[in-house]
Parts: sequence; structure tokens; C-alpha cells
Amino acid sequence: MKIEGEYTFDGPREDLWELVRDPEVLATCLPGTQSVQKMSDNEYAGEIKVRIGPISGTFSGQLFVTNEVPPVSCTLTVEGKGKVGFLKGIGNIDMIDQGESKTLMKYTGEVQIGGKVASVGQRLFDTVSKGMTKQGLDKLNGILQTRRTKN
Amino acid sequence: MTKKFIGKRIVRNEDPQLLTGQAQFVDDVEIPGMLHAAFLRSDYAHARLLSIDVSKACQRPGVVAVFTAEDMGDDWQPGPPLVSPPPTAKDVIFNSRRQVPLVKDKIRHTGEAIAVVIAESRYIAEDAVDDILVELEPLEAVVDLERGLEAGSPLVHDDLESNLAAHLLQKKGDYETARQKADLVIKRRIVIGRGAAAAMENRGIVANWDAKSQHLTIWDTTQAPIPIRNGTAARLGLSEHQVRVIAPFIGGGFGPKMMMFYAEEMVIPWVSKELSRPIKWIEDRRENFYATTQERGQIHDVEIALSSDGYILGLKDVFLHDTGAYDPYGLTIPLNTQCHAMGGYDIKNFTTEVSVVFTNKTLVTPVRGAGRPQGIFIIERLLDIASRELGIDRIEIRKRNFIPPDAFPYEHKIIDQAFAPLILDSGNYLPVMEKALEMIGYEEFVKEEQPRLRSEGKYVGIGIAPFIESTGVGPYEGARVTVEASGKISVATGIGTQGQGHFTAFAQIVAEQVGVAVKDVRIVTGDTTEFHWGTGTFASRGAVVAGNAIHAASSIVRKKILELASKVLETPIDELELDDGLVRVADIPHKSISLGELALLANPLRGAVEPGTEPGLEATAYFGPNYGATAFGTHAMILEVDPETMMIKIKRYVTVEDCGTVLNPLILEGQIHGGVSMGIGNAYYEQLHFDENGQLLNASFADYLIPSATEMPRIEVGHIETRSSLNELGTKGVGEAGTIPVPALFAQAIENALYDHELEILEMPLSPNRLFEFLNEEKSR
Repeated sequence: MKIEGEYTFDGPREDLWELVRDPEVLATCLPGTQSVQKMSDNEYAGEIKVRIGPISGTFSGQLFVTNEVPPVSCTLTVEGKGKVGFLKGIGNIDMIDQGESKTLMKYTGEVQIGGKVASVGQRLFDTVSKGMTKQGLDKLNGILQTRRTKN
Repeated sequence: MTKKFIGKRIVRNEDPQLLTGQAQFVDDVEIPGMLHAAFLRSDYAHARLLSIDVSKACQRPGVVAVFTAEDMGDDWQPGPPLVSPPPTAKDVIFNSRRQVPLVKDKIRHTGEAIAVVIAESRYIAEDAVDDILVELEPLEAVVDLERGLEAGSPLVHDDLESNLAAHLLQKKGDYETARQKADLVIKRRIVIGRGAAAAMENRGIVANWDAKSQHLTIWDTTQAPIPIRNGTAARLGLSEHQVRVIAPFIGGGFGPKMMMFYAEEMVIPWVSKELSRPIKWIEDRRENFYATTQERGQIHDVEIALSSDGYILGLKDVFLHDTGAYDPYGLTIPLNTQCHAMGGYDIKNFTTEVSVVFTNKTLVTPVRGAGRPQGIFIIERLLDIASRELGIDRIEIRKRNFIPPDAFPYEHKIIDQAFAPLILDSGNYLPVMEKALEMIGYEEFVKEEQPRLRSEGKYVGIGIAPFIESTGVGPYEGARVTVEASGKISVATGIGTQGQGHFTAFAQIVAEQVGVAVKDVRIVTGDTTEFHWGTGTFASRGAVVAGNAIHAASSIVRKKILELASKVLETPIDELELDDGLVRVADIPHKSISLGELALLANPLRGAVEPGTEPGLEATAYFGPNYGATAFGTHAMILEVDPETMMIKIKRYVTVEDCGTVLNPLILEGQIHGGVSMGIGNAYYEQLHFDENGQLLNASFADYLIPSATEMPRIEVGHIETRSSLNELGTKGVGEAGTIPVPALFAQAIENALYDHELEILEMPLSPNRLFEFLNEEKSR
């Protein structure tokens, strides 16, 4: 399944980049995230609780950051599995400086799901993943603005 | 001779028990000390199994044992080949690869069983399944049939050179020459999707190894209890008489329960013997979507050659058949497709070539219809297209091509699913189609009602689809009929029962011979202790093969009754009559003796008998036909399509069936109703969707739609009887008939409804969404 979209942040690109690369921030932003640990500069491990229609469960897995061009772009690879199935995703993030403290984030990705999440939750997966992405990006934008106000 | 019981609308003997919840199903079996099983199943369609760690699961309180393939040692053996490739066909390629009890090295479809947990309750067992750690290496999955045969495709079975499971070419006459003489050649690609049988009752098994008596009892939702008994005994190194298999009441078979041995059928009895404990496993609905076999996926490249006046000169079909991860059921389905692609038509030149493909999907074995709906869909679609292209009425083009009634038995010169030459034993197709046309009021609808409705802006269409169905194939079934001292009759036969009304239809056959009330005949099916010869309930053969065995045994018992009564009443046999449980002297009605008294006399406790006397009024007999009896019929339908939502509404549904002698019209109509319901699912609702990784995306009844009461029309059933010459009762099967022509009928009726579109339906199942896509594609052209 393909995931694609864009989001305009109210803050400069460098600040946004810094947030994206901060595991604690990520943990706060992604709905359902229970823990994120930084294993190395480019690898995080964590757990996330997901509810898709009648299916709910915890996925544990890793997030890898590659092809990093700070503060412009990177590739994210996610692998997670749990009692309700597995998911594997790869995506690219591009951040475009719009001037006037605005940054446009474009993301494209491909997600593969299997097990109960696929067989029972498939029809809702698209909606749920879009919803979760939107929630996460809104939260990230909120943090970005809060930090800027503080500084 | 007029019949007293056969052919009568007699309410079912079994219904009071079923309708009041008193019937025993496998899940009703409760045994003290019984443990429960849950299976760990693969989330991946294709993966190498690297390691399994069950230690945490074993520690969970209430867990008794956890078994993997390794634990089974030498008892780990793939299932038996259920149907071998046809020995009579030339140059058949067949690579036999059978399902395994538990995965040892490689996972080949989602839901394949990896380990089994045995616990004090199903709840604990399910929780412990989640405790098992499995390390897998995911592999690219084989999903698409054409890509699966391309060089460089990943392999489902690493030891084979390709994913080709089988290849079979059959020829009748000479298609290529016929094609050269044709005025019109139509070529099309036809795609049929995969569906589930979706029986109301999922599968289940209870196995109880009693170590003290050294005896194993198995309750199994199988359509084939005797082969399960014999195979289980062989697998476990037991005598066949140490194993009793009971197939009690079953909530629908539809074919997948004929498949044997499922992984669970291999594992659960083995575990029971290992632990000397009763073990129960009941399949849940989600497991059923992965672990119970499915059917229909085929891709056909077909070609039909016709003369300008609409006569079929030849037919060629080259097709791919999806067998899933293994092929234990041999070529039964594609052979049925080949044998039905000519329908009831006099086709002299036919070439049919199938390549069977292994894929990383659940196994494919027959589901009600078993390859026949695909064959009928092909020929009926091609005739619809030919009718348009040649400007010949669709009824007329069919009439011109029907095999004439004086041509039967009609030999097709290819082999059928039973490896016998395909011979249509009897038939008279035109009266059946005409009766359907008359019942639905075809002329009036087309001339008056349809134009009127169209002028009102309604999209209403009519469809007519004739079909044939090969039924009642061999090898054989048997039965034992006994008159008991109570005067009631006890009958045992080997086949299992899954809702077909056997307890009534079979009782009618017996009652007709021995002159008792239908309710006084007690039938036992599917208990190997009661009767242990036979094959199973499949291929619409219960009433034909077991029915005629019961008829044969009853006839012998009738003879025994009359012979004994003749001695007792001192009257010649031809002056006796058998009625109401009595043998009477015809012209002295008060001179009589009851069957119960005769049964007692036939089983004396003291005194002497003539040497060679067999005790009791009992007989065992068997029946096996040379080849299957071919039933036929025509379905007709009027439907309305909502042009906004593409939802359809069936206004009228008519079927006319000719299944030879009708045993009980009430049961027959029930069979037809159920079959049509399944056909409607196959045509417009039910399709299993797999993604490119072999993940099944609609494994629940929220997403996989089966027709419910709101989608079902009122079905009007008409009968015509053309007796089969292959058995004494003259019966033919009808269990699958309701399903077979429905997709072809839908396609025709929908095209007819959407008359202002250039719509050509070449795939099944459809759905409102798919129909919407078709019309959009047409707009964008």
C-alpha cells in the first residue's frame, strides 16, 4: 500500500530536522507510541500500540534512518511485528524551505502488512494510517511552534 | 408402478432434532479430561522457517504440551495423495506435493500450521500460541498465475524446476481444421476469481485415544469418514478396527470437508495418542479463511469457431488453474472444467489444455460446483457473444447446438474426473429450457414488459442459462438394511451427511421396498463402526451411489421378508403384499404378520435352523456405476441494476432441473435454493482478495460478503424427469446443480439490463464496484 502526502510546518527547516531526529519527540508525536530508544545514530527501537477497527495490538520493531542529507531529506525504514501481524515500510521524506519560517514536508512510502492487520483490518488500514500521520504531524508542528516560542 | 414414498414431499426425519438444537455436532462432544488445541499459524505466505522457541509457551500455567514438526519425529509425514492423476490420459505431467502436518522447513501459504499448543482450555492455548517465538526469513510470494510460470519466478517447491504442478492436454476431433472452415472465430480471455465455501460450521475434530482399550475414537467434520479412519490407522500404525471415525451432524460440507488429511486431521489424533488424552480442536472463522480449502481461480484463453448460421464447429480452451500451495486433490477440478466447457452442446472438435500452477495461497480443492461453473461460464459466454455477432437470438443459437435427445448416450471422447470416458448417459435439453422460458414468461417479458420498464428509465434484464452437471460418479458405496424386532428398520451407510436430508431421502427408498412408514426407518451415516466400506459424500453422488446401494440392500431384505412370510402364512409370495409394517395375504387382509414378528422368527434363540441359513432379515449391498450420470437444467432470471449504485435486485428466479427420478421434491428444492445462493455469491459478492505478497485481505464476514436473506430471491423450481439408465432408481445428482450456471446467468442478465452500454462481462465474481469500474472503462474508451 502506498502512502503519500505533504504537510506545511510553521517553522524553519533546521529546527524541524532537529525535532525529527530526536527520539523523544518522535515518541510523543506518533500516536500510540509506548517507547522509543535510540540504538545508534541511525537506528531506533520501540513499541507502538495500534488499533485498526476490530484489531488492536502492540508492534515492536525498529526504525532505520538512511540516505540522510540534513536538513533536506532522508529515507525511513520501519519493521515491526506483534501478535496481530507484521508491517514493513519504507519511505522518503523531503523538506523544502518555503521561506518566512515555513517548511513543506513531502513524504512518499510503501507499506506492506501481513497477518490479522491485513486480513481483517485491511479495509480500515488506509484510513487509520492517514489519520495517524495527520495526528503525528499536527503534534510535531505544535512542538515546533512551542520550542520556537520558548527560544 | 406408482410409488408410495419415492417422489413425495415428505418432511425431513432429522428436522425436529436439528431445529430444537438436539443434534450432535463435533463441538458438542465433551469428554472428561479433554484438552484443547490451538495452532500457531503463519502470518507470511512464503517464508523459510529458521527456528521455533516454545519454551515460554510451555511455562504458561494450564499448558500441557506444545508440539512442532520436530517433535513428531518419524510420524511427521505429508498427507496422502487423495486423487492420483488420471492413468488413462496420455502425456500427463503431475507433480504431487502434499500438505504437511506442521511446517518443517518452509511456509507455503498464510495460515499454514507451524506448532500446536495443548492446554486445559482453548483460552489458555490461544494465549500460549502468542508466547511462541518464531524466526522466519520472508520470501517473495508466488501469487499471480502467469507470473508464477515465468522463468525466474520464486518457487513454491524448491525441488521443482518451476511452479507447474500439472499439465494435461485433451483433444476431441480436430479443432484446427474446424477453425479453418469457420465463418466466425471468437477469442476471449476469461478470468475466474477465488472464493471460500464458507460453511456455517467450520471444521472441528475431537480425538480420544483410550490407552486401556487401545482404541481411538475421532469425531470429525469430514465428508469422508471411512477414508479418514483407514488413513489415520495407517499413519498411527493401528489396525483399522482400532479406529472409529464418527462424522456426526455437520453444518455444511460443500467440498472442502472432502479434502483429507488436513493438517489438523493428522496432528490432533497423533497428539491424543501421545498424551493419552482426549483433544478437541474447533476451527474459528478466521482460521477457516486460511486453513480450509478454497476454489475457482482460473484464467482461460478461449476460442470458438462457428458457422454463419450459428452452429459450433469447434472450441479451444487453454487455461491456468490455481491449486494453491499443494495439490493433494489431483486434477479433479480442471478435469471437471474441461468436461463442462462444452456444456450440453454437440461440439465435435474440442481442444483443452490446462496448466496447473502452485501458488503461495491456501490449497484449492473442490467447492460445490468443482470446476463445472467455470466450464459452463465459458461456453455460455461465448454463445452470448456469438449470438450478438451473428445476429441470432440467444435462445435460438442454443437450440441449434443442443445435443439431440436421440444421440444419448453421447460420448465426448475425453476423460472425466473419474478417469472414465466422458459419456452423457441421458438428456433432453430443449423441454427443460422451454419450461424455464415459459415459467419466467420470456416472450411476454421481452416483448412487452422490458420495453415498458426501459421507457420508464429502468435497467431490467433477463438471462437464460442451460447447463449440465456430471454427478454420481463411482467408485462405489454400500449399505446394510436390517429389520429389527420392533418392526422398525435400521440402515447404515458409509457416506457422511452435511445437511442433504439423507435421513429422509434414504428412508423413503427403504420404505418403498419394505412397506414401513418413513419415520420408522432409522438411518446411520458417517460412523465407521456401523459401516466401514465406502468413499464419501462428494460429486453430487449421495442419492445416486449410496441411494442405489440402499435400494439394492432393501430389495434383498424385501425378498427375505416375503420368503419367510410365505412360509409362515403358507401363501405363495405373489399373493402377499407388504404395507404398513405388515405382510398381508392380498385377498384375505386379516391374515397377516408384522415385520417385527418376522424379524424375531428370523433370529431364533433356540432350536435348529436349516444349514446355511443366515440370521435376521438383513442385507448388505453395494452399488458402483460404470460412469457418472449427467443431470441438467436451465436457470432463468430477471434482474434490475441500479445505474447509480450498481446494486442489483433479482426480480424473478426460475430453475428447471432434470436430475432423473426425484426422491423428495422438498429436499430437492432445498438443495437448489442453497446452490443458487452459493451461485449468487460466486457471481456478485464472494471473492477472496490477495495482495502481491499473498496476504488475504478480506478474511472476515465483514469484508467477504456471502449472500444473506436480503440478497436471495424467491426461487421457483420446476422439474422434468429423464431417468438415468445407469442405476435402478434412475437417479442423478443435484447437490451442485443450483450453483453451476449462476455466474453465466448473471453475466447475461446484467448485459441485457445495461442495454445501452457496450458491456461484455468476461470475469467472475463481479461486485457492484467492479461493474462500476467496467462502465467507467467503457466511458473512457
